[in-house]
Amino acid sequence: MKRLYIGGLSHSVTQKDLKDRFGKFGDVEDVEVRTRRDDDGVPYKTFSYININISDADLKKCMTVLNKSKWKGGTLQIETAKESFLNRLAEERQTAEEQRLQQPEVEDERQKMLDSLSKAGVDNFTMKAAVPGTEVPGHKDWVVSKFGRVLPVLQLKCQKGSRARTVNYDPSKYSHNIRKLDRSTVEQHTPVTQLTWEEQGGDDDISKKRRGEFPPYEPPRRKKSRKDVVKSHNAEGGAGRSPPRRSLLRVKTVVSVDHTEARRFTNGDQPPTNHRLAQRRTPRSTDWDIDSDEEIHKMVTAQDTSHAALQQQQQEEEEEDDQLEVVGLDYLVKSGWKGGPDHKDENDYDSGDTDELFASRKPPLPPPQQRSTPQAPAQLSGNDRKRKMKKKKSTAGEEEDDSSGAEEEVASRKPSGEHSSQNQSKKMKVLPVVSLPSSESDEEDEDEEELESADCSSDSDYEAMFSNVTRLEISLADLQKLAGESSGQETNLTAGSSERPAPKKGTTPEEILAAIMEDSSDDEQQQKKKKKKTKAVKVSTPLPAFQGTRALTKDAVKAAPPSTPHSESSSSEEEERENAPPAPHSESSSEEEEEQSEEEVEEEKQTPVRVPLGAKEEEERQRKTNMRRLAAVQQRQKEAEDHKKLIQGALSNLDAPKAGAGKHIVFGSDEDDDEDDDEDEQQTTSEVTTPKKTLSQDGQSEDDAAVSEKERTKGKVRVKPSVPQLFGGSEDEEDGDEEEDGSRFDVRPQFEGRVGQKLMALQSRFGTDERFRMDSRFLDEEEEEEEEEKSEKKKSVTEEEEALEEERKKNLSILQSVLGSSQQTHSSKTAVKAKAFRDVSALHYDPSREEHAAFETKTDETKKESKAARRKKREEAQKLPEVSKEIYYDVSGDLKAVFGQTKDEDVAGGGDEETNWDREEEAKEEEDGGGKEEQPTLQSSLLSADPGAENEEASGFKFSFFEDDTETGSGETAEYKVESIQAPKVSWQQDLRFQDSSSEEEEEEEQQQEEEEEQSNVTAKTTEEETPSKTDLFFFYLGDSRLTEGPRLFCRPSQLEEQREQWEERRSELRQEYRKKHKDARRKLRSSLKS
Amino acid sequence: MRPLTDEETKTMFEKLSKYIGENIKLLVDRPDGSYCFRLHNDRVYYMSEKILKLATHISRDKLVSVGTCFGKFTKTIKFRLHITALDFLAPYAKFKVWLKPGSEQSFLYGNHVLKSGLGRITENTMQYQGVVVYSLTDVPLGFGVAAKCTQECRQMDPMSIVVFHQADVGEFIRNEDTLT
Repeated sequence: MKRLYIGGLSHSVTQKDLKDRFGKFGDVEDVEVRTRRDDDGVPYKTFSYININISDADLKKCMTVLNKSKWKGGTLQIETAKESFLNRLAEERQTAEEQRLQQPEVEDERQKMLDSLSKAGVDNFTMKAAVPGTEVPGHKDWVVSKFGRVLPVLQLKCQKGSRARTVNYDPSKYSHNIRKLDRSTVEQHTPVTQLTWEEQGGDDDISKKRRGEFPPYEPPRRKKSRKDVVKSHNAEGGAGRSPPRRSLLRVKTVVSVDHTEARRFTNGDQPPTNHRLAQRRTPRSTDWDIDSDEEIHKMVTAQDTSHAALQQQQQEEEEEDDQLEVVGLDYLVKSGWKGGPDHKDENDYDSGDTDELFASRKPPLPPPQQRSTPQAPAQLSGNDRKRKMKKKKSTAGEEEDDSSGAEEEVASRKPSGEHSSQNQSKKMKVLPVVSLPSSESDEEDEDEEELESADCSSDSDYEAMFSNVTRLEISLADLQKLAGESSGQETNLTAGSSERPAPKKGTTPEEILAAIMEDSSDDEQQQKKKKKKTKAVKVSTPLPAFQGTRALTKDAVKAAPPSTPHSESSSSEEEERENAPPAPHSESSSEEEEEQSEEEVEEEKQTPVRVPLGAKEEEERQRKTNMRRLAAVQQRQKEAEDHKKLIQGALSNLDAPKAGAGKHIVFGSDEDDDEDDDEDEQQTTSEVTTPKKTLSQDGQSEDDAAVSEKERTKGKVRVKPSVPQLFGGSEDEEDGDEEEDGSRFDVRPQFEGRVGQKLMALQSRFGTDERFRMDSRFLDEEEEEEEEEKSEKKKSVTEEEEALEEERKKNLSILQSVLGSSQQTHSSKTAVKAKAFRDVSALHYDPSREEHAAFETKTDETKKESKAARRKKREEAQKLPEVSKEIYYDVSGDLKAVFGQTKDEDVAGGGDEETNWDREEEAKEEEDGGGKEEQPTLQSSLLSADPGAENEEASGFKFSFFEDDTETGSGETAEYKVESIQAPKVSWQQDLRFQDSSSEEEEEEEQQQEEEEEQSNVTAKTTEEETPSKTDLFFFYLGDSRLTEGPRLFCRPSQLEEQREQWEERRSELRQEYRKKHKDARRKLRSSLKS
Repeated sequence: MRPLTDEETKTMFEKLSKYIGENIKLLVDRPDGSYCFRLHNDRVYYMSEKILKLATHISRDKLVSVGTCFGKFTKTIKFRLHITALDFLAPYAKFKVWLKPGSEQSFLYGNHVLKSGLGRITENTMQYQGVVVYSLTDVPLGFGVAAKCTQECRQMDPMSIVVFHQADVGEFIRNEDTLT
């Protein structure tokens, strides 16, 4: 069955026609004719669909026959058409029906499949515990993949190019691609209705800001949190208890003790690096036992400053980051910056409190004793605590009882000593060794009480010194530094003092070794806590001990009936001392000791009286005995050591002369060498010698800080011959040591001067080796050799030097030229810079200095005046030559003579009337004035007589003066010049006097006067000029030179051409000058415009 | 080895004066002994009289270096300062530039100094003025020439060159074989 489309039909064709026509080829089932009509109903197209049962061959035939054939006025067009949609619909429905029938079968298959799979152990397409790649048993095309998932093996058809082939896709081979998807997460969708604009969140800042709520702006706070905290603490504490501020000193001591405790903890228990912790701890510790607000305030301020410093630094750094820093020319390069900012920070931080400073400074050199004995600090702290408490009590008691009113420091120091002794004595019963640390701590406490900034703990110093010593010698700078430090210390350097001499020498290795050994032995002994004590221990203990005993004995004495004398106790001590050491004591030393001890006793007497603590005499005696015993033990040990040292010294001495003595020829002075020898020997012998020296010095000059060299040498000489004397007297070493410390840093005589320096260098070259010790003998030889060489070389050297000198000069000249040419501006700039740099504000006017005269304003005025005066002068010079002045002088000079003469003339009663008239007046005036014949006084009297008139006349005179000038010519000047020689020491008063006379404006008279004066002058200098002036002519006189010279001016003095030449020259000059001036003016104008 | 001629001395001094100005006088006329400049293999050495005398014992072709090399004369007879002269330039330098720590390395690798690396500068530095370069810890690092004057330096953008590199201490490693 086919459906055909037949087009191109005429409008008149009916279904029947079509059926007939196509009926030939097949069975026509249905015909459908359609006619397309336009809007008017006129058909323009007619076609039809027919359903026909037809075979393919018939269809072909039909097509060939009927297609494009003409039928009833139209051309047929036959095509196969698609099936009618109704049919198709029906078909589809039918197939759907069929499918519905078939489906259950498919489901069955699937179920079967699942069942079979489940049989094979597959549950929900997953097979647990199966290795990927294994086939599912019973199912050929199913494979287990990742996660136990069962997947089918796919057979994919691949059409590449013309060939078609199938590809097996085994999912187990690509199992790494498989990813597990969590369905639960995917399926969570929040519905739109639940979406909100609200942001839920807490009250924290961020969520608030997210919500758009910003807190009101607050200016950034300073970092004061810590301070605040402390303050709040403080407030609480202050509220809680009223500060028992009895004495600031005590408070200080207490606090310092606390600090020391803290510090010790940090030193002993904790690693030395954490200063911060220690510092943080200190304020807390003060919180525990605050005694005053001041202390806390101090600390707070200190911290604040440190904070501020930190902040500042940070700011600076930031600034540096941000901004470019511009630096002046005078910026100094600081080289010691390499410590880094951290270091600086710490320093800044630490600078606040001295105690903190101690704490911070200490750790680098932790005293090994404390470190080695972990128990010690605890004991110490305990000790301190106890002592603190006691001190409080005692100080309280003392303050009440101390009527003498000694210095606070002394007071504070004494109780410590006392208590230490007490402590010692108490402890000695139980543990005699504990006295050592206690004494040390005493020292430290004292130092801290004094608040010395210098390191006071002798131990650390001692360590440092030794570390220095082991390297080699101490340089001069080191010595100075040490001297400064030691001078800062008032207390005895107990531990170090005995062995300090060793570093001073530092040349013999044995000594250093011995010293170090001692040091180490110290530690060991402390660890073992045995009674064996080395020097350090000895020296450290006896001082407080003795004081204590002495004090105690005194107390005892006081407690006991007053009849027992002091001397007994002291003498007994001395006896002890003398008896105890079995070694040979030199008498002198013992005497000195006695002296010293006596002095000490005296000092003790001077010190304020103390309250007798515990008057139990028995206990004290026990203590005494104990002390004696200890002292004896110490003595013995010292002795042994001295022996050792003596042996060492002897050995070294044996070596030294071998190296130095006979072999070298000595050219220098013997005395010098001897001295040097002596000193060398002394050096080599032992340390004991030096203290000995100082001891002897002590004996000679008590408390003389500055000991002259001579004295020292004397002391040496004194000590020297008796070498065995060197033993003993060690107990009093500490006394000597103080001075020793002072003298130790003086430059030794053998090292003085240039030669000394050389010697030092020589010695240092061979270091500590005793055998190669160089002394001045070597030096002398070398020097001589050098001198010889020098003398030989001198000539050549001088030549070379000359050459070099020349070269240098040349270089300098070139440099000058270079700088002058290229760097002119540069140098000027620097000069300006230097001027600008001179700080005006820092300048103080010092009238005594001549340079500062420039700052006086007066000079400026004078300058201006001088300028004005110069200008005036110039003008005057242009208009009227010096004539005017000379007129002054001449006239005045003459007047003197005139006065003299007037009297004569008056007496004589002769001369011209006119002149007389004038003179008479004068004379009268003179007579009125007092008629004194002496001129100066007369003139002064004249002045005093009528000053008003004079003033008037002065004004009048000027007029006359100018007239005079204009009228009088050069001739007159000549006249006056001649007379000016005669002019005496002119005073202006004389001028005034002259004005008097000239007030009449009668120049003739004047002239005549003058002439007469000239006549009357007794001097032999009357010249030929006088003679012509006797005529009565008004303007001229006979033989007037003006008359002769005047006419000449009207004649040409030279040829016209010459004149012209002159004029031309002049003109060119003038022109040049004018140009120059013009240029200058223009330049000035320009510069002014610019500026 | 010979002393410098006048022209040579002049060129050298002119170059030196760009960095230390009239302080050259302190090099020539030293209080601690007589020092001199000597020319050897086109290089100028600065040495004390003592060393000069010692050096006379060594033949010219065997002598590699004496004293401190200040620089060398180029083929065009210009003087070129070497980094070895830094020890003498640094203490007398008139104009200095300090580098930030971050840019030190860059400079020490031979790069110019950028504005961003400039930590500090002497005031009134002129353009093309010779400057000595320091680190902020005042360690001299080398020397160069100011590309801009101080005032201009302030307003420049951070990536512009402020100091032209001339020599740096990195050359001690980089040019080890040529530095004498």
